[in-house]
Amino acid sequence: MSELTEPHIESSDDELPEEVAFDASKSAALKTIKDALESVKREKNILKEKRKKRQQLFQEQKKRKLLPQELLEEFDTKLQKKTNPSIKKRINKKVSTTPLDIDKDKEQKSTPEKIAKSLPESYKVTRVKDESASKTLQQKAADFIQSRLYGPGTQRTTNAALLSLNKKRGASQGAAVNFANVKLSAKQRGRIARTNKHFIQHTLTKNC
Amino acid sequence: MGEFKVHRVRFFDYMPSGIRALAFNRDTERLAVARMDGSVEIFDCADRYYQEKFIPGKEQCGIEGLSWVGDRLFGVGLNGGITEYDLTNQKVKYTIDAYGGPIWAITGNQQGTHLAVGCEDGTVKLFEVIEDTIQFQRNLDRQKSRIISLSWHPSGSKIAAGMMDVIQVFNVETGHSLHRMLVDRGVGTSRGKECVVWSVVYLSNGTIISGDSVGMVKLWDDQTGTLIKSHIVTKCDVLALSVSQNEDSLVAGTSEGTVVQFQFISLVLGKDDKEWFRTRTFKNHTHDIRALAEITTAVVSGGMDAQLVVRPLLDKIEVRSVASALRKFYFPHRRLVSCAKKAGLMLFQYTGYLELWRLGESKEKGTPGSSLFIKRNPEKLLHLKVKGEDHIRCSAVSPCGEWIVYSTASSLRLYRLHFDNNNVSITKISKLPKVLSSANQLCFSSDSSYLFSTSTQSVHIVSLSQEGCKFVSTLKPKSGSNQAIHLLAASEDGKWLASANSDHEVHIYNLQTRKAHCTVPIYSSAVTAMGIHPATNCLFMMHADQQMFEFSIELKQYTDWSRTVQRKGLHRLWLERDTPCLNVMFNPKNPSHVILHDAYMFCIIDQSLPLPDDQDLFYNQLTLKSLPEDQRKTQSHAFKVCKTFKDILCVELMSDQSLVVVERPLEDIATQLPAPIKQKKFAT
Repeated sequence: MSELTEPHIESSDDELPEEVAFDASKSAALKTIKDALESVKREKNILKEKRKKRQQLFQEQKKRKLLPQELLEEFDTKLQKKTNPSIKKRINKKVSTTPLDIDKDKEQKSTPEKIAKSLPESYKVTRVKDESASKTLQQKAADFIQSRLYGPGTQRTTNAALLSLNKKRGASQGAAVNFANVKLSAKQRGRIARTNKHFIQHTLTKNC
Repeated sequence: MGEFKVHRVRFFDYMPSGIRALAFNRDTERLAVARMDGSVEIFDCADRYYQEKFIPGKEQCGIEGLSWVGDRLFGVGLNGGITEYDLTNQKVKYTIDAYGGPIWAITGNQQGTHLAVGCEDGTVKLFEVIEDTIQFQRNLDRQKSRIISLSWHPSGSKIAAGMMDVIQVFNVETGHSLHRMLVDRGVGTSRGKECVVWSVVYLSNGTIISGDSVGMVKLWDDQTGTLIKSHIVTKCDVLALSVSQNEDSLVAGTSEGTVVQFQFISLVLGKDDKEWFRTRTFKNHTHDIRALAEITTAVVSGGMDAQLVVRPLLDKIEVRSVASALRKFYFPHRRLVSCAKKAGLMLFQYTGYLELWRLGESKEKGTPGSSLFIKRNPEKLLHLKVKGEDHIRCSAVSPCGEWIVYSTASSLRLYRLHFDNNNVSITKISKLPKVLSSANQLCFSSDSSYLFSTSTQSVHIVSLSQEGCKFVSTLKPKSGSNQAIHLLAASEDGKWLASANSDHEVHIYNLQTRKAHCTVPIYSSAVTAMGIHPATNCLFMMHADQQMFEFSIELKQYTDWSRTVQRKGLHRLWLERDTPCLNVMFNPKNPSHVILHDAYMFCIIDQSLPLPDDQDLFYNQLTLKSLPEDQRKTQSHAFKVCKTFKDILCVELMSDQSLVVVERPLEDIATQLPAPIKQKKFAT
């Protein structure tokens, strides 16, 4: 193709154009089309490979996050045992806040078996699905109010700052209010007082 | 006069709860205050704002709104239920689930027939108020966002609902929305947050006034559904609005603690072109104002700093008197501290637990006014948590220190304490008589052998002994109202018992015959404290309007001293005190002394000395000190007031002649309040 379109600037207009065979041009055109198709295919394959690799990477990361397969299988069977008898009882009731309350079921009075030797005694197995229902509407409403009044976007300060401002601009002016933590022991308070004194003497007075 | 060793106690970490809602009943002049912990207090506005009734709350059960229907009180909370309060017996009558999720607002129509509640799921539910209960009628059209505030038009035909970004006006008959008015969001960074319409008010001329989270008070017209005027009040949120009864004054409360008043007046006096203009600003709070009420002559505001502030509007008051002063209520008007006088123990009542402390000891001698060195520190003996979710209503410790009793709304628990050498052990008395299921007030007899408890208008007597407790009898008044009793006082010799209820009735019972003995003539003000004199068996009563009466039980009439006091009248400064007396004590060594205290002073009244005239110097302790001995007798009068101690919660006289003063400095309360809004002041 490039040979054909190569401009013959040096030759004059009187000469006849070069003879090019039909087959040659046909093959050249086909070749270019094939090249184009192949490049598209190649790009697709490259993208495919990339996607495969990414997928594998995610799988591995997910595997790393999950617990070993044996533990998961044990938990699954244990949960199925627990939730099956209590499903019937939950049809006509509201969502209870303690989803694992199996005391109502008299038949299953078995003591909780040790799930796996790796888990310590006090650990319990619960599904995330069961837990999310326990964040009740009431809690969500309370969170809404808390975030609107005290959350991000509100200009809040501390009570100490408020009282200090009053002292600074009040009738009898004094130093800033600093709340003492009465729960600290005398030793801790002494240590804090000494470090404050050290800081004031050495750091603050040095700079001025 | 009297020299006392004073135990100055500051380890009672009493923390009041913030005020969330106010509701004023114009007919009975009662103000209902709902706190963040779910408790409801009823203040009698005509009787010097005395807190006459108290209904305790529950764990995890806050109140979002209150509404009066006639003389019935309804409250709603985020737990999704509508609660009716039984004001006669001071407890919750019932709770009905509205099935709409958390409820944010409640309002009643002026005709007193229906209640509307605004829920989280976007519905306004109408309930019909019938005798004894309420019944669900229907829902108005469901909306997409939650309903934060509601207001009923005085005619009862339309309701305005404040939601997120939008105010909707509903036609109550059809339930459909008439208008949908969009509220502007803020500028700058707050454009991303939805604008919450915290409060709406519907006036009878069709104007809707709204306060929102951008800090604007907007006036809307409900005929066209458009904005008329918009006032910028603050940079933070406008959380509460309240309009006066004749609709010419509106108050708006902000997050910064300021209350702004708007008045419907004309620019030129006499002309008819009235508009809403911003007039006054009150800065009486430090934290957010969550509730406002404009009552007949005053503006009442309450918020997260747990103070109730009553600001009388001076243009509505004719005479400048005690009623026209600014009043702030910090402490409750009931006792939270009880003392075991013979054992030197104190019981502190918190909402969810009790603490028992033993007082410290110090050297014997000292000069007046000095601090004595402590030999043994006060120690905490017991921390008793309540089982269950209810908050403690009342508690008491016996004078010998061996019995502790407390009551919640649903249960009563009695415990026996054993002291051996330095160990304290406690055993619960499990089998209690059926009458002791719950109590409004509890009192031990002076020899700790009987427990008096009351839950309605009668008093139950239970005997206490080594084996446990046994029901003895019930004392019923001969006649009278069925209001619950809020004060009990037993005599030292165990013969008499006095009870006072919220209808201002005081009944005296004879404990030996177990029958009613007599009734004190009804006085117009409520009894805030009473005590029976150990020697003369006279009942000394202090009232909310600072009047005092002494009634002789055996003679069934007022004593001569009491008649002299009434004839002469009390000193102006005594009557102008704005906190009620909470305890009346007697000194066995000086039988003519009566010891009283309120939140800012404690006072010894010497009944043998003359009463002061209005012209006399009332607080004359310091002048008496400077006079020589012989002149003091001529100058002194009966009232000896000591103002050394401030923010007093309780004063008690122990059996070893030492005084205990429990103080709760307001600065200590301020350390634990929630965060206030940052305010930029000039030159800071």
